Amino acid sequence: MKVYYKATYTYKFIRMFFQEFENIISTLGNVIMYGIELVKGLKNKPTTLKELMVQCARFGISSLPITLSIVGMTSVIVAMQVAGEMVKQGAGNYVGMLVAILMVREEAAIMAGFAIISMIGSSLASEIATMKVTEQIDAIRVLKVNPIHYLFTPRVFAGVLMMPLVVIISSLVGIIGGAIASNVVSGLSYKAYFDSVWFGLKMHDLQVCIIKSFAFGLVISLISCSCGMEARNGAKGVGQATTKAVVWSFVAIVIVDLIFAAACFY
Amino acid sequence: MGITVKNLVKSFDKKVILDNISFKVDDGKILSVVGFSGSGKSTVLKLISGLIEKDSGEIITSGGDIAMVFQYSALFDSLNVFDNISFALQERKDLRGKYTRKELEKIVAEKLELVGLSGIEEKFPSELSGGMQKRVSFARAIVTEPKIILYDEPTAGLDPISSTLIEDYIVRLKNETNAASIVVTHQMSTIRRTADSVLMLYNGHAVFEGSPEELCRENTPYTRQFVEATIDGPMKMN
Repeated sequence: MKVYYKATYTYKFIRMFFQEFENIISTLGNVIMYGIELVKGLKNKPTTLKELMVQCARFGISSLPITLSIVGMTSVIVAMQVAGEMVKQGAGNYVGMLVAILMVREEAAIMAGFAIISMIGSSLASEIATMKVTEQIDAIRVLKVNPIHYLFTPRVFAGVLMMPLVVIISSLVGIIGGAIASNVVSGLSYKAYFDSVWFGLKMHDLQVCIIKSFAFGLVISLISCSCGMEARNGAKGVGQATTKAVVWSFVAIVIVDLIFAAACFY
Repeated sequence: MGITVKNLVKSFDKKVILDNISFKVDDGKILSVVGFSGSGKSTVLKLISGLIEKDSGEIITSGGDIAMVFQYSALFDSLNVFDNISFALQERKDLRGKYTRKELEKIVAEKLELVGLSGIEEKFPSELSGGMQKRVSFARAIVTEPKIILYDEPTAGLDPISSTLIEDYIVRLKNETNAASIVVTHQMSTIRRTADSVLMLYNGHAVFEGSPEELCRENTPYTRQFVEATIDGPMKMN
Protein backbone atom coordinates (compact mmCIF):
# COMPACT_ATOMS: atom_id res chain seq x y z
CA MET A 1 0.00 0.00 0.00
CA LYS A 2 1.37 3.39 -0.97
CA VAL A 3 1.52 6.03 1.75
CA TYR A 4 1.27 9.63 0.58
CA TYR A 5 2.60 12.46 2.73
CA LYS A 6 1.30 15.95 2.35
CA ALA A 7 4.12 18.30 1.41
CA THR A 8 4.51 21.08 3.95
CA TYR A 9 5.03 24.67 2.88
CA THR A 10 8.56 24.58 4.24
CA TYR A 11 9.30 21.51 2.13
CA LYS A 12 7.76 23.13 -0.95
CA PHE A 13 9.76 26.30 -0.38
CA ILE A 14 13.03 24.38 -0.01
CA ARG A 15 12.23 22.27 -3.06
CA MET A 16 11.45 25.35 -5.11
CA PHE A 17 14.67 26.97 -3.98
CA PHE A 18 16.75 23.99 -5.03
CA GLN A 19 14.88 23.66 -8.33
CA GLU A 20 15.67 27.30 -9.11
CA PHE A 21 19.29 26.73 -8.12
CA GLU A 22 19.47 23.68 -10.39
CA ASN A 23 17.87 25.73 -13.16
CA ILE A 24 20.52 28.45 -12.81
CA ILE A 25 23.37 25.94 -12.87
CA SER A 26 21.97 24.06 -15.88
CA THR A 27 21.35 27.28 -17.85
CA LEU A 28 24.85 28.49 -17.09
CA GLY A 29 26.23 25.10 -18.12
CA ASN A 30 24.26 25.18 -21.38
CA VAL A 31 25.46 28.69 -22.25
CA ILE A 32 29.07 27.64 -21.66
CA MET A 33 28.67 24.41 -23.65
CA TYR A 34 27.07 26.23 -26.58
CA GLY A 35 29.84 28.82 -26.44
CA ILE A 36 32.49 26.10 -26.62
CA GLU A 37 30.64 24.37 -29.48
CA LEU A 38 30.44 27.70 -31.32
CA VAL A 39 34.19 28.26 -31.01
CA LYS A 40 34.89 24.68 -32.15
CA GLY A 41 32.90 25.27 -35.33
CA LEU A 42 34.71 28.44 -36.34
CA LYS A 43 37.43 26.61 -38.25
CA ASN A 44 34.82 25.41 -40.77
CA LYS A 45 33.55 28.92 -41.66
CA PRO A 46 30.03 28.08 -40.51
CA THR A 47 28.36 31.20 -41.87
CA THR A 48 28.34 33.37 -44.96
CA LEU A 49 29.08 37.08 -45.18
CA LYS A 50 25.53 37.62 -46.42
CA GLU A 51 23.98 35.95 -43.36
CA LEU A 52 26.36 37.86 -41.08
CA MET A 53 25.31 41.14 -42.70
CA VAL A 54 21.63 40.27 -42.28
CA GLN A 55 22.17 39.66 -38.57
CA CYS A 56 24.36 42.78 -38.22
CA ALA A 57 21.58 44.87 -39.75
CA ARG A 58 19.11 43.31 -37.34
CA PHE A 59 21.36 43.84 -34.33
CA GLY A 60 22.74 47.26 -35.15
CA ILE A 61 20.49 49.15 -37.51
CA SER A 62 17.04 48.03 -36.40
CA SER A 63 17.82 48.55 -32.71
CA LEU A 64 19.44 51.96 -33.20
CA PRO A 65 16.35 54.25 -33.10
CA ILE A 66 15.12 52.84 -29.79
CA THR A 67 18.60 52.68 -28.29
CA LEU A 68 19.39 56.27 -29.26
CA SER A 69 16.05 57.45 -27.93
CA ILE A 70 16.60 55.77 -24.57
CA VAL A 71 20.23 56.87 -24.16
CA GLY A 72 19.48 60.39 -25.48
CA MET A 73 16.58 60.87 -23.08
CA THR A 74 18.56 59.48 -20.16
CA SER A 75 21.36 61.97 -20.79
CA VAL A 76 18.86 64.81 -21.09
CA ILE A 77 17.29 63.78 -17.77
CA VAL A 78 20.69 63.59 -16.06
CA ALA A 79 21.73 66.98 -17.46
CA MET A 80 18.39 68.54 -16.48
CA GLN A 81 18.76 67.21 -12.93
CA VAL A 82 22.35 68.29 -12.32
CA ALA A 83 23.17 71.18 -14.69
CA GLY A 84 21.04 73.81 -12.92
CA GLU A 85 22.37 72.94 -9.47
CA MET A 86 25.97 72.68 -10.60
CA VAL A 87 25.88 76.01 -12.41
CA LYS A 88 24.32 77.61 -9.32
CA GLN A 89 27.13 76.17 -7.17
CA GLY A 90 29.75 77.44 -9.60
CA ALA A 91 30.59 74.00 -10.92
CA GLY A 92 29.15 74.55 -14.41
CA ASN A 93 32.51 73.69 -15.94
CA TYR A 94 32.12 70.14 -14.72
CA VAL A 95 28.68 69.37 -16.18
CA GLY A 96 30.03 68.16 -19.53
CA MET A 97 32.61 66.00 -17.81
CA LEU A 98 30.02 64.45 -15.52
CA VAL A 99 27.57 63.65 -18.31
CA ALA A 100 30.31 62.36 -20.62
CA ILE A 101 31.90 60.12 -18.01
CA LEU A 102 28.50 58.81 -17.00
CA MET A 103 27.55 58.13 -20.60
CA VAL A 104 30.80 56.57 -21.77
CA ARG A 105 31.58 54.57 -18.68
CA GLU A 106 28.11 53.33 -17.81
CA GLU A 107 24.87 54.72 -19.19
CA ALA A 108 25.34 54.24 -22.92
CA ALA A 109 26.51 50.65 -22.63
CA ILE A 110 24.00 49.55 -20.03
CA MET A 111 21.02 51.37 -21.59
CA ALA A 112 21.94 50.16 -25.07
CA GLY A 113 22.32 46.70 -23.56
CA PHE A 114 18.84 46.84 -22.02
CA ALA A 115 17.34 48.14 -25.26
CA ILE A 116 19.05 45.45 -27.33
CA ILE A 117 18.05 42.70 -24.91
CA SER A 118 14.43 43.83 -25.09
CA MET A 119 14.39 44.14 -28.87
CA ILE A 120 16.97 41.78 -30.30
CA GLY A 121 17.72 39.31 -27.51
CA SER A 122 14.06 38.45 -27.08
CA SER A 123 13.63 38.12 -30.84
CA LEU A 124 16.69 35.84 -31.14
CA ALA A 125 15.44 33.64 -28.31
CA SER A 126 11.88 33.39 -29.64
CA GLU A 127 13.09 32.75 -33.20
CA ILE A 128 15.33 29.85 -32.18
CA ALA A 129 12.80 28.56 -29.65
CA THR A 130 10.11 28.48 -32.35
CA MET A 131 12.48 26.59 -34.62
CA LYS A 132 13.11 24.16 -31.77
CA VAL A 133 9.47 23.42 -30.95
CA THR A 134 8.48 23.12 -34.62
CA GLU A 135 11.23 20.53 -35.19
CA GLN A 136 13.19 22.81 -37.55
CA ILE A 137 16.30 22.33 -35.39
CA ASP A 138 15.82 18.56 -35.61
CA ALA A 139 15.49 18.92 -39.39
CA ILE A 140 18.80 20.82 -39.47
CA ARG A 141 20.43 18.01 -37.45
CA VAL A 142 19.01 15.28 -39.70
CA LEU A 143 20.41 17.16 -42.72
CA LYS A 144 23.81 16.81 -40.99
CA VAL A 145 24.27 20.51 -40.34
CA ASN A 146 25.28 21.55 -36.84
CA PRO A 147 22.51 23.93 -35.64
CA ILE A 148 24.84 25.64 -33.16
CA HIS A 149 27.31 26.49 -35.89
CA TYR A 150 24.63 27.42 -38.41
CA LEU A 151 22.35 29.49 -36.17
CA PHE A 152 24.58 30.81 -33.40
CA THR A 153 27.63 31.94 -35.40
CA PRO A 154 26.11 34.80 -37.45
CA ARG A 155 23.96 35.95 -34.54
CA VAL A 156 26.69 35.93 -31.91
CA PHE A 157 29.22 37.57 -34.25
CA ALA A 158 26.68 40.21 -35.21
CA GLY A 159 26.16 40.91 -31.50
CA VAL A 160 29.88 41.19 -30.83
CA LEU A 161 30.53 43.40 -33.86
CA MET A 162 27.52 45.70 -33.66
CA MET A 163 27.24 46.31 -29.94
CA PRO A 164 30.35 48.59 -29.76
CA LEU A 165 29.06 50.57 -32.74
CA VAL A 166 25.66 51.03 -31.11
CA VAL A 167 27.26 52.03 -27.81
CA ILE A 168 29.66 54.55 -29.43
CA ILE A 169 26.83 56.21 -31.37
CA SER A 170 24.66 56.16 -28.25
CA SER A 171 27.42 57.79 -26.19
CA LEU A 172 27.78 60.56 -28.75
CA VAL A 173 24.03 61.14 -28.84
CA GLY A 174 23.99 61.08 -25.03
CA ILE A 175 26.76 63.70 -24.77
CA ILE A 176 25.08 65.92 -27.37
CA GLY A 177 21.71 65.49 -25.63
CA GLY A 178 23.35 66.52 -22.36
CA ALA A 179 24.80 69.64 -24.02
CA ILE A 180 21.41 70.74 -25.35
CA ALA A 181 19.66 70.06 -22.04
CA SER A 182 22.35 71.91 -20.05
CA ASN A 183 22.14 74.87 -22.38
CA VAL A 184 18.34 75.02 -22.22
CA VAL A 185 18.02 74.43 -18.45
CA SER A 186 20.92 76.46 -17.11
CA GLY A 187 22.18 78.49 -20.04
CA LEU A 188 25.53 76.68 -19.97
CA SER A 189 27.37 77.49 -23.18
CA TYR A 190 28.17 74.71 -25.61
CA LYS A 191 31.82 75.70 -25.55
CA ALA A 192 32.04 75.34 -21.77
CA TYR A 193 30.20 72.01 -21.93
CA PHE A 194 32.38 70.48 -24.64
CA ASP A 195 35.59 71.86 -23.10
CA SER A 196 34.61 70.05 -19.95
CA VAL A 197 33.87 66.86 -21.92
CA TRP A 198 37.25 67.10 -23.63
CA PHE A 199 38.99 67.67 -20.31
CA GLY A 200 37.21 64.96 -18.38
CA LEU A 201 37.04 62.09 -20.83
CA LYS A 202 40.14 59.90 -21.03
CA MET A 203 41.18 57.42 -23.71
CA HIS A 204 41.03 54.73 -21.03
CA ASP A 205 37.28 55.40 -20.64
CA LEU A 206 36.72 54.87 -24.37
CA GLN A 207 38.84 51.73 -24.46
CA VAL A 208 36.95 50.18 -21.54
CA CYS A 209 33.64 51.24 -23.11
CA ILE A 210 34.46 49.49 -26.38
CA ILE A 211 35.82 46.31 -24.77
CA LYS A 212 32.81 46.19 -22.44
CA SER A 213 30.49 46.57 -25.43
CA PHE A 214 32.10 43.57 -27.12
CA ALA A 215 31.49 41.59 -23.93
CA PHE A 216 27.87 42.79 -23.72
CA GLY A 217 27.24 41.82 -27.35
CA LEU A 218 28.68 38.37 -26.76
CA VAL A 219 26.77 37.80 -23.54
CA ILE A 220 23.42 39.01 -24.88
CA SER A 221 23.52 37.08 -28.15
CA LEU A 222 24.94 33.88 -26.66
CA ILE A 223 22.48 33.77 -23.77
CA SER A 224 19.52 34.60 -26.02
CA CYS A 225 20.41 31.92 -28.56
CA SER A 226 21.13 29.37 -25.82
CA CYS A 227 17.83 29.96 -24.03
CA GLY A 228 16.00 29.62 -27.36
CA MET A 229 17.80 26.38 -28.04
CA GLU A 230 16.63 24.91 -24.73
CA ALA A 231 12.94 25.60 -25.41
CA ARG A 232 10.44 22.76 -25.25
CA ASN A 233 6.69 22.21 -24.90
CA GLY A 234 5.20 24.32 -27.67
CA ALA A 235 4.08 27.94 -27.50
CA LYS A 236 4.38 28.06 -23.70
CA GLY A 237 7.99 26.90 -24.01
CA VAL A 238 8.73 29.65 -26.53
CA GLY A 239 7.38 32.25 -24.09
CA GLN A 240 9.37 30.77 -21.21
CA ALA A 241 12.57 30.67 -23.26
CA THR A 242 12.12 34.30 -24.29
CA THR A 243 11.49 35.44 -20.72
CA LYS A 244 14.48 33.45 -19.52
CA ALA A 245 16.70 34.96 -22.21
CA VAL A 246 15.68 38.50 -21.27
CA VAL A 247 16.05 37.99 -17.52
CA TRP A 248 19.37 36.17 -17.82
CA SER A 249 20.77 38.72 -20.23
CA PHE A 250 19.78 41.60 -17.92
CA VAL A 251 21.45 39.93 -14.96
CA ALA A 252 24.50 38.92 -17.00
CA ILE A 253 25.25 42.39 -18.36
CA VAL A 254 24.92 43.92 -14.90
CA ILE A 255 27.40 41.34 -13.59
CA VAL A 256 29.76 41.97 -16.52
CA ASP A 257 29.42 45.71 -15.92
CA LEU A 258 30.27 45.25 -12.27
CA ILE A 259 33.35 43.22 -13.16
CA PHE A 260 34.53 45.87 -15.62
CA ALA A 261 33.88 48.67 -13.14
CA ALA A 262 35.83 46.87 -10.44
CA ALA A 263 38.66 45.80 -12.73
CA CYS A 264 39.14 48.98 -14.76
CA PHE A 265 38.28 51.91 -12.53
CA TYR A 266 39.27 50.87 -9.02
CA MET B 1 21.09 -3.93 -46.60
CA GLY B 2 18.60 -1.28 -45.42
CA ILE B 3 17.98 -0.98 -41.70
CA THR B 4 18.39 -3.68 -39.08
CA VAL B 5 17.28 -2.94 -35.54
CA LYS B 6 18.11 -5.42 -32.79
CA ASN B 7 16.85 -5.39 -29.20
CA LEU B 8 16.35 -1.64 -29.12
CA VAL B 9 15.63 -0.19 -25.68
CA LYS B 10 14.83 3.44 -24.87
CA SER B 11 13.49 5.01 -21.68
CA PHE B 12 12.58 8.56 -20.77
CA ASP B 13 12.62 9.47 -17.05
CA LYS B 14 12.62 5.80 -16.04
CA LYS B 15 9.58 5.09 -18.25
CA VAL B 16 10.38 2.42 -20.82
CA ILE B 17 9.21 3.63 -24.24
CA LEU B 18 10.75 0.91 -26.37
CA ASP B 19 11.48 -2.48 -24.85
CA ASN B 20 13.56 -4.89 -26.90
CA ILE B 21 12.29 -3.95 -30.33
CA SER B 22 13.77 -5.73 -33.36
CA PHE B 23 12.96 -5.43 -37.05
CA LYS B 24 14.54 -5.26 -40.48
CA VAL B 25 13.77 -3.19 -43.57
CA ASP B 26 15.47 -4.06 -46.86
CA ASP B 27 16.45 -1.57 -49.55
CA GLY B 28 13.49 -0.61 -51.70
CA LYS B 29 10.98 -1.70 -49.04
CA ILE B 30 8.64 0.23 -46.78
CA LEU B 31 7.90 -0.68 -43.17
CA SER B 32 4.87 0.92 -41.54
CA VAL B 33 5.16 1.42 -37.80
CA VAL B 34 1.71 1.71 -36.25
CA GLY B 35 0.25 1.99 -32.77
CA PHE B 36 -1.37 4.33 -30.28
CA SER B 37 -0.14 7.84 -29.72
CA GLY B 38 2.72 7.60 -27.22
CA SER B 39 3.53 4.01 -28.13
CA GLY B 40 7.07 4.95 -29.18
CA LYS B 41 6.65 5.10 -32.96
CA SER B 42 8.28 8.49 -33.45
CA THR B 43 10.98 7.50 -30.95
CA VAL B 44 11.99 4.70 -33.31
CA LEU B 45 12.54 7.25 -36.09
CA LYS B 46 14.42 9.65 -33.83
CA LEU B 47 16.72 6.83 -32.71
CA ILE B 48 17.45 5.72 -36.27
CA SER B 49 18.06 9.29 -37.44
CA GLY B 50 20.40 9.90 -34.50
CA LEU B 51 18.33 12.70 -32.97
CA ILE B 52 18.29 10.83 -29.67
CA GLU B 53 20.56 8.21 -28.14
CA LYS B 54 19.46 4.64 -27.50
CA ASP B 55 19.83 3.03 -24.08
CA SER B 56 20.84 -0.32 -25.55
CA GLY B 57 20.44 -2.45 -28.65
CA GLU B 58 21.78 -2.12 -32.16
CA ILE B 59 20.81 -0.01 -35.15
CA ILE B 60 22.63 -1.10 -38.29
CA THR B 61 22.10 0.98 -41.42
CA SER B 62 23.41 0.57 -44.93
CA GLY B 63 25.53 3.73 -44.71
CA GLY B 64 24.86 6.84 -46.73
CA ASP B 65 22.46 9.54 -45.69
CA ILE B 66 19.36 9.16 -43.59
CA ALA B 67 16.51 11.50 -44.49
CA MET B 68 13.52 12.30 -42.36
CA VAL B 69 10.17 13.84 -43.23
CA PHE B 70 8.70 15.44 -40.13
CA GLN B 71 5.06 15.32 -39.04
CA TYR B 72 4.47 19.02 -39.67
CA SER B 73 7.05 19.27 -42.47
CA ALA B 74 9.50 21.33 -40.36
CA LEU B 75 10.37 23.54 -43.32
CA PHE B 76 12.60 26.49 -42.45
CA ASP B 77 10.06 29.28 -42.48
CA SER B 78 12.61 32.05 -43.01
CA LEU B 79 13.95 30.40 -46.19
CA ASN B 80 12.21 30.03 -49.54
CA VAL B 81 11.54 26.67 -51.16
CA PHE B 82 14.81 26.78 -53.13
CA ASP B 83 16.91 27.37 -50.00
CA ASN B 84 14.90 24.81 -48.04
CA ILE B 85 15.52 22.07 -50.58
CA SER B 86 19.15 22.96 -51.25
CA PHE B 87 19.86 23.57 -47.54
CA ALA B 88 22.02 20.47 -47.03
CA LEU B 89 23.91 21.10 -50.28
CA GLN B 90 24.64 24.69 -49.28
CA GLU B 91 25.32 24.30 -45.57
CA ARG B 92 26.63 20.80 -44.94
CA LYS B 93 30.35 20.82 -44.21
CA ASP B 94 31.21 18.12 -46.75
CA LEU B 95 28.97 19.53 -49.50
CA ARG B 96 29.42 23.28 -49.08
CA GLY B 97 30.88 24.89 -52.18
CA LYS B 98 30.65 21.66 -54.16
CA TYR B 99 27.79 22.88 -56.34
CA THR B 100 27.50 26.04 -58.39
CA ARG B 101 24.31 28.09 -58.25
CA LYS B 102 23.29 26.69 -61.65
CA GLU B 103 23.81 23.11 -60.47
CA LEU B 104 21.80 23.79 -57.33
CA GLU B 105 18.97 25.26 -59.41
CA LYS B 106 18.99 22.14 -61.62
CA ILE B 107 18.95 19.75 -58.65
CA VAL B 108 16.15 21.65 -56.89
CA ALA B 109 14.10 21.78 -60.10
CA GLU B 110 14.52 18.00 -60.53
CA LYS B 111 13.43 17.27 -56.97
CA LEU B 112 10.47 19.61 -57.22
CA GLU B 113 9.40 17.95 -60.46
CA LEU B 114 9.62 14.59 -58.72
CA VAL B 115 7.09 15.74 -56.13
CA GLY B 116 4.94 17.50 -58.72
CA LEU B 117 5.67 21.07 -57.63
CA SER B 118 7.73 22.63 -60.40
CA GLY B 119 8.22 26.40 -60.41
CA ILE B 120 7.65 27.22 -56.75
CA GLU B 121 11.31 27.85 -55.85
CA GLU B 122 10.76 31.44 -54.80
CA LYS B 123 7.76 30.81 -52.57
CA PHE B 124 8.02 30.71 -48.78
CA PRO B 125 6.56 27.85 -46.70
CA SER B 126 3.81 30.12 -45.36
CA GLU B 127 2.55 30.57 -48.93
CA LEU B 128 2.06 26.82 -49.43
CA SER B 129 -0.77 24.48 -48.42
CA GLY B 130 -0.15 21.67 -45.90
CA GLY B 131 0.08 19.08 -48.67
CA MET B 132 2.51 21.21 -50.69
CA GLN B 133 4.67 21.81 -47.60
CA LYS B 134 4.79 18.07 -47.07
CA ARG B 135 5.88 17.48 -50.65
CA VAL B 136 8.55 20.19 -50.39
CA SER B 137 9.82 18.42 -47.26
CA PHE B 138 9.96 15.19 -49.34
CA ALA B 139 12.05 17.04 -51.93
CA ARG B 140 14.32 18.40 -49.18
CA ALA B 141 14.71 14.92 -47.71
CA ILE B 142 15.81 13.26 -50.97
CA VAL B 143 18.16 16.00 -52.14
CA THR B 144 21.24 14.14 -50.85
CA GLU B 145 20.13 10.82 -52.39
CA PRO B 146 19.56 9.11 -49.02
CA LYS B 147 19.64 5.35 -48.55
CA ILE B 148 17.08 5.51 -45.78
CA ILE B 149 13.94 7.67 -45.64
CA LEU B 150 11.94 8.05 -42.45
CA TYR B 151 8.41 9.48 -42.53
CA ASP B 152 6.79 10.68 -39.31
CA GLU B 153 3.02 10.60 -39.83
CA PRO B 154 3.25 11.97 -43.37
CA THR B 155 -0.51 12.25 -43.87
CA ALA B 156 -1.37 13.78 -40.49
CA GLY B 157 -3.65 16.78 -40.83
CA LEU B 158 -4.24 16.35 -44.55
CA ASP B 159 -7.53 15.86 -46.38
CA PRO B 160 -8.14 12.39 -47.90
CA ILE B 161 -7.18 13.42 -51.43
CA SER B 162 -3.94 15.09 -50.33
CA SER B 163 -3.25 12.01 -48.17
CA THR B 164 -3.62 9.73 -51.19
CA LEU B 165 -1.30 12.00 -53.18
CA ILE B 166 1.30 11.90 -50.41
CA GLU B 167 0.99 8.11 -50.19
CA ASP B 168 1.59 7.87 -53.93
CA TYR B 169 4.68 10.02 -53.61
CA ILE B 170 6.03 7.84 -50.79
CA VAL B 171 5.83 4.82 -53.11
CA ARG B 172 7.23 6.83 -56.01
CA LEU B 173 10.21 8.01 -53.96
CA LYS B 174 10.86 4.45 -52.83
CA ASN B 175 10.93 3.32 -56.46
CA GLU B 176 13.09 6.25 -57.60
CA THR B 177 15.64 6.05 -54.78
CA ASN B 178 15.47 2.34 -53.84
CA ALA B 179 15.79 3.56 -50.24
CA ALA B 180 14.69 1.56 -47.22
CA SER B 181 11.75 3.52 -45.78
CA ILE B 182 9.91 3.58 -42.48
CA VAL B 183 6.50 5.23 -42.33
CA VAL B 184 5.02 5.99 -38.93
CA THR B 185 1.28 6.29 -39.32
CA HIS B 186 -2.11 5.84 -37.69
CA GLN B 187 -4.01 5.43 -40.90
CA MET B 188 -4.98 2.13 -42.44
CA SER B 189 -5.15 3.74 -45.89
CA THR B 190 -1.48 4.72 -45.67
CA ILE B 191 -0.57 1.20 -44.58
CA ARG B 192 -2.56 -0.40 -47.41
CA ARG B 193 -1.18 1.90 -50.09
CA THR B 194 2.46 2.12 -49.06
CA ALA B 195 3.65 -0.64 -46.74
CA ASP B 196 5.44 -3.84 -47.61
CA SER B 197 5.42 -4.82 -43.94
CA VAL B 198 3.89 -3.57 -40.71
CA LEU B 199 5.17 -3.35 -37.14
CA MET B 200 2.62 -2.63 -34.41
CA LEU B 201 3.83 -1.19 -31.12
CA TYR B 202 1.96 -1.07 -27.84
CA ASN B 203 3.41 -0.05 -24.48
CA GLY B 204 6.92 -0.30 -25.85
CA HIS B 205 6.49 -3.83 -27.19
CA ALA B 206 6.05 -5.13 -30.72
CA VAL B 207 2.63 -6.82 -30.70
CA PHE B 208 2.45 -7.55 -34.42
CA GLU B 209 4.85 -7.90 -37.32
CA GLY B 210 3.82 -8.98 -40.79
CA SER B 211 2.41 -7.82 -44.10
CA PRO B 212 -0.54 -5.40 -44.42
CA GLU B 213 -2.69 -8.31 -45.60
CA GLU B 214 -1.76 -10.32 -42.50
CA LEU B 215 -2.59 -7.31 -40.34
CA CYS B 216 -6.12 -7.24 -41.78
CA ARG B 217 -6.48 -11.03 -41.76
CA GLU B 218 -4.92 -11.90 -38.41
CA ASN B 219 -7.37 -12.36 -35.62
CA THR B 220 -5.36 -11.37 -32.55
CA PRO B 221 -7.03 -8.93 -30.14
CA TYR B 222 -4.47 -6.22 -30.93
CA THR B 223 -4.76 -6.38 -34.71
CA ARG B 224 -8.56 -6.62 -34.60
CA GLN B 225 -8.84 -3.62 -32.34
CA PHE B 226 -6.51 -1.55 -34.54
CA VAL B 227 -8.05 -2.54 -37.87
CA GLU B 228 -11.62 -2.08 -36.63
CA ALA B 229 -10.68 1.03 -34.65
CA THR B 230 -12.71 0.03 -31.60
CA ILE B 231 -12.31 1.26 -28.04
CA ASP B 232 -12.85 -2.21 -26.58
CA GLY B 233 -9.74 -4.32 -26.66
CA PRO B 234 -6.40 -4.93 -25.01
CA MET B 235 -4.94 -1.55 -26.07
CA LYS B 236 -5.96 1.20 -23.65
CA MET B 237 -5.30 4.90 -24.03
CA ASN B 238 -3.02 6.24 -21.31
